[in-house]
Amino acid sequence: MKKTDENIENRLGNIRKDQPFRVPEDYFETFADRLMKRIGEEEQPIKKRTLFFYLKPALMVAASFAFVMLLVYVPVKKFFYTSGNSYSSVQKMNTDSIDSANEIPATLISYFSEGQFLSAVTDMKELESDTISNDKLADFIAANYSDYDVIANN
Amino acid sequence: MDSTEKELIANLKSDGNRQKAFQILVKTYQVRLYWHIRKIVLNHDDADDILQNVYIKVWNNVDSFREDSSLFTWLFRIATNESLSFLQKQRRHSIVSMNEISDYLADSLESDVYFDGDEIQKKLQLAIVQLPEKQRIVFNMKYFDEMKYEEMSEILQTSVGALKASFHFAVKKVEEFLKEERK
Repeated sequence: MKKTDENIENRLGNIRKDQPFRVPEDYFETFADRLMKRIGEEEQPIKKRTLFFYLKPALMVAASFAFVMLLVYVPVKKFFYTSGNSYSSVQKMNTDSIDSANEIPATLISYFSEGQFLSAVTDMKELESDTISNDKLADFIAANYSDYDVIANN
Repeated sequence: MDSTEKELIANLKSDGNRQKAFQILVKTYQVRLYWHIRKIVLNHDDADDILQNVYIKVWNNVDSFREDSSLFTWLFRIATNESLSFLQKQRRHSIVSMNEISDYLADSLESDVYFDGDEIQKKLQLAIVQLPEKQRIVFNMKYFDEMKYEEMSEILQTSVGALKASFHFAVKKVEEFLKEERK
């Protein structure tokens, strides 16, 4: 085998043994710095990988979901709140008007003396009791309906 | 393993001196490792990537270095494995056969702007890329680097006898290729 190895020089002897390749200028001078920079870059993200790094995708999905819900929920709630409010305000307004109708403003009372005010209230009550009197109701039915109509409707 | 190398390994394994020791390691072996890789993959950019990967592996695994071989042997072993893995990846990605890996390397050589050799040197390189991977590595280490078989045996983890046989067959094939080219 040794003889064969020695012959190789003769067999491939015409071919120069020096390196036929070259490298870019300053390649070996700058290699160590480039390598250390790459090592630094590769190590940094590994160190910063905290729990947040792994939860980040899930948190992003949750945040997106919350955002979409917010976009839908707020206008819907606002709509129902507004319509509900308008209903209650109408109701409130009606109640107020009824109350205010029943109430006699204090400013109006101040125009009357106590005696005048009491006689006015008494006349009103007499008028009201006249309208719901049973005798008057019986007279009205007797005048306008036959006995058959009364029996048939009951 | 001499005392300087032992000290370098100790510094590489200690947190305080690690970075400085690593820079010494890089500067000491970068040229020899680069040319070893370059002769396997031929293209400069590929060789540069692989050399960086080799040193990154060393940086990450220096604590597991058992010191049963020299740093030089360990580094060359990693460099050889990385280079072969690179070629295997090329083969997997391209779904190419061994012959097509030779074609890939031949194309790399033809388009390499950093190839300065003459016509005969180019023919020799084209003959080398036709060899099977192991024979190619053995040929380069023996013919160009004039490495001892014992050293090669440690790096490639192959017996001296098998390496001699590989080199013998490689020379024969190269010779035949060159003869064919002359016709």
